[in-house]
Amino acid sequence: MMQLECPNCGPRNVSEFRFRGEYVERPHDGADPARRRAWAEYLYFRDNRAGVQKEWWYHQAGCGRWFLAERHTKSHAVENTRYWGGEATS
Amino acid sequence: MSPGRLAVHPSHLIDQSRPVEFLFDGRTYKGFEGDTVASALWAAGVRMFSRSFKYHRPRAPFAMTGADTNCMVRAGDEPNVRACVKLVAPGLNVTPQNVWPSLNADLMSLSSLAARFMPAGFYYRTFMRPKFLWPWYERVLRNAAGLGYVTLETPSTYYDKEYGFAELLVIGGGPSGMSAALSAAGRGARVVLLEESPYLGGHLRHERQTVETATGERLPAYQLAARLSDRVFANRNISVELETNAFGIYEDLWIGAAKRDTRLLKIRAQSLILANGAFERPLVFENNDLPGVMLGSAAWRLLHLYATMPGRRAVVVSANDDGLRVAIDLHAAGIEVAAVVELRNDPDPTLAAALRARGIDVKVRSVVVKAHGRRRVERVTIGQMTDESPSLSGTVDVTPGTREVVKCDLVTVSIGWTPATGLLHQAGGQTAYDTTAAESRVTQLPERVRAAGRVSGTHDVTTAMAEGEMHGLDAAAELGLGDGASTELREKVASLKATQLIRNSSAVHVRGGKMAFVSFDEDVTVKDINDSVAEGYSSMELLKRYSTLSMGPSQGKYESTNTMALCSAANDEPIATTGSTTSRPPFHPVSLGVLAGRKMEPVKHTPMHDWHVEHGARMMNVGLWKRPEHYGDPAEEVLTTRRGVGLIDVSTLGKLQVIGSDVPELLEMLYINRWRKLAPGRVRYGVMCTDEGMISDDGIAANLGADRWYVTTTTGGADGVYENIEWNLQSGWTFDVHVANVTDHYAAMNLTGPRAVDILREVTDIDLRGDALPYMSVREGHVAQVPARVMRIGFTGELGLEIHVAAGYGLHVWETLMDAGRAHGIIAFGVEAQRIMRLETGHFIVGQDTDALTDPYMANLERAVRTDKPDFLGRPSLVHIEQRGIRSKLVGYRMLDAHVVPPEGSQIVVPDSTRPIGLEIIGRITSARYSPTLDASIGLCWLPADGCEPGAEFTARVRGDLLPGRVVSLPHYDPKAG
Repeated sequence: MMQLECPNCGPRNVSEFRFRGEYVERPHDGADPARRRAWAEYLYFRDNRAGVQKEWWYHQAGCGRWFLAERHTKSHAVENTRYWGGEATS
Repeated sequence: MSPGRLAVHPSHLIDQSRPVEFLFDGRTYKGFEGDTVASALWAAGVRMFSRSFKYHRPRAPFAMTGADTNCMVRAGDEPNVRACVKLVAPGLNVTPQNVWPSLNADLMSLSSLAARFMPAGFYYRTFMRPKFLWPWYERVLRNAAGLGYVTLETPSTYYDKEYGFAELLVIGGGPSGMSAALSAAGRGARVVLLEESPYLGGHLRHERQTVETATGERLPAYQLAARLSDRVFANRNISVELETNAFGIYEDLWIGAAKRDTRLLKIRAQSLILANGAFERPLVFENNDLPGVMLGSAAWRLLHLYATMPGRRAVVVSANDDGLRVAIDLHAAGIEVAAVVELRNDPDPTLAAALRARGIDVKVRSVVVKAHGRRRVERVTIGQMTDESPSLSGTVDVTPGTREVVKCDLVTVSIGWTPATGLLHQAGGQTAYDTTAAESRVTQLPERVRAAGRVSGTHDVTTAMAEGEMHGLDAAAELGLGDGASTELREKVASLKATQLIRNSSAVHVRGGKMAFVSFDEDVTVKDINDSVAEGYSSMELLKRYSTLSMGPSQGKYESTNTMALCSAANDEPIATTGSTTSRPPFHPVSLGVLAGRKMEPVKHTPMHDWHVEHGARMMNVGLWKRPEHYGDPAEEVLTTRRGVGLIDVSTLGKLQVIGSDVPELLEMLYINRWRKLAPGRVRYGVMCTDEGMISDDGIAANLGADRWYVTTTTGGADGVYENIEWNLQSGWTFDVHVANVTDHYAAMNLTGPRAVDILREVTDIDLRGDALPYMSVREGHVAQVPARVMRIGFTGELGLEIHVAAGYGLHVWETLMDAGRAHGIIAFGVEAQRIMRLETGHFIVGQDTDALTDPYMANLERAVRTDKPDFLGRPSLVHIEQRGIRSKLVGYRMLDAHVVPPEGSQIVVPDSTRPIGLEIIGRITSARYSPTLDASIGLCWLPADGCEPGAEFTARVRGDLLPGRVVSLPHYDPKAG
């Protein structure tokens, strides 16, 4: 079982966390008929890249903080974790 | 000294003063405390332990390590037990398995005669067609190719899980592992040492040669084992787990191990040293599986651990000094050594001289060609190797005319070692085959992982201990303890490793014969490998799967190197480029009981749980919760509640406390409906959607005043809703709110029915007169003298008073209400009555009547969707959906036959002759109940939006019958209208 570094609690078993998927920006004008494609891409399109991916994690069985992790999807190496809008910790 | 046993010696594991009687195949045998089933049986003269997997050939212990499968037996109720590591116990009933009708007269062994009809891939090819015979094939194959069987009558056993942490984890308690543990512990590291045997010492324990310690002291190997072992056990920084098999290494040094086969041990290590040794390598020759053919180290184990004579007259096959020492030790134990068949032409002169002094003939450049015998080895053919042998890929040929036959009852094989790199590979390490050393050498290790001893190609004991010490010191330094190994030690290890003797022969296979086994697990022969490669299964991974090599219970431990060599020979390419197969957990077989372990699923009880049970409730699972389904008669519960009053435990509702000046803004974003104008003291029903515009949860929010709100969710939805709110608040929503999940902090109950107010009035200080507590409002006060929130809400159509109190008061308030209601005929009702009543009222349940593709328009909530709000979760999608229109709709129905209740999930169909069954599915029933109130079969169903207006008729397919139903307007039942 891999470990993940919670910015608040430090390294913990990944089973304590919940994964929410890739980080995506929510378009602010998704209801605009001209922006239907952008809205659909936000909802359903993911990069699924073989490389470093920015993703959401939640320390569910711990402090309850949501944070962003930059994880290499091939090696599982987590390059850094940070709160939304916060400084990266490694 | 007991009959058949050697004189007592300190290296022995058995206590010859403590006899133990046990059963094998119905007969009583005597062993001693510390004996394994195999050693005791071998000492008693038993030479056949099992029948092989495919050809049912007689088999007996081959390695004595617990890793090969030749001595798998049934011990008591437990199948597939390895007799070579299973300790004898008084009365233990051991039986052979995979025999029919018996071990000695096994009819399936005739399949050996049919071997040429059972090539590799036989199962895949033969049992393919016709398909309808598959179940029969399966039965035949299971009987023929049996491992053990499981009985359902076996009493259940206690298995548990244990979680551990180690600063340094050392796997393997041999000389290098113990040295590593001691040096790291000496620097203050907390070390855990795992050892699969019931003792420490590794191979030192069964060897007698003189070894040299780091300080230059010389002593017998078994004494060094004892000395190191004493130091390890005395060290308070080292915790030792014996009889513990590490079977898997996972990400971030998370190690799985089976402890005494009853406990699953999971350890998180900061640093790992693999010192788990090597497997002695078999030589592949004709009939190399006959009982009596064994590894040199197996003979050592029988002699020096179990005081057991491996045979009377031995032929020793040797390609390294271990072989020569085995010959000396056999002779010293009183066994006649008929010949030492030495593959090299330059055996160690000192050892060769020692053998000659004992009158033992060492035949250099010779090899064993074939073993003879029906149920055990009786003779062997040996011969001189040709000048070209062994070939690059390990094939050995014998010079014509040099063959001779030697009588013997024991053949020991000491030709080399295969490092046990399975765990190392799982940890992320890499190896490459080194042709000179004739073994795989470690080329790369991940951070925090080190390898010492035979697994890393270090064979000499002194060197292995120095290497262990070096790695132990370096691992400690990595933990911030000490400076690591000195340059001097580092250089010493490097130079010792570079100059050590190579102990591996490149010989793999002696040409000739059909029954030359590469895998004993699965009866795979050299011919099978050649045939598989010829058929195109030429890469190691394909060969493995087609021939089943290394897929048996020993997971290739004894066949990996030989397979690699034979595959390279068949492909005519070097071993180094042939590669190996991927090592995956479990490295060692683990009982299913150990993996299953104890059930760890939490169960949640409401504060009134015991009351429900005492009052005859039939409990049901709702998520993690237990809820009363009913108290005997749900229909009666419905009628009593509608006529008078009922009380239901709704403590399982999700509950959130939301505080702050921006709570209405938060709710505006979370829900599809409006909140800003909800006055203090008022309650509103709300629906939540995902950004896809699909319904995700529903519940009520109550404005308690002074920026305090109380929000409920569905029973299963609390955690998800809370997490989603937190996610939004932690990723950009900047509202002044604080949310707490208080689901378990409050007990809740709903007093339902026309007489609810009459009862509550008697036990509360909240004003219930007239319109003081109107529908959809909330008040705080006391109920049964404890602080309470009372909300007037309803999902049954009846007047409903939902009372929330601190969880600790739940039972008190519940009992007070039941007492107060007795004069009014109160009844407790359960989930089933609640579901009937909510269905009569026409309310849907999120997750039952809706799914991940249900939007609010489809669920008749178009009036609740306020797309005129600037934004909320799902708004953009709902704007698009509103424009696009909907295709199906959730509607109420009645079956025309009031006494037919279709199962939930039944299809709604229309005739369509183009379909195979003549029907097209156009909808489905999601909720269906018999309504005792209406004496009708009612429910909710999905129908095409076009043509689902009340009065429309449809056909439901119920267990093959086509039954008519009619769409009706909701609610099905309205008490106020009645």
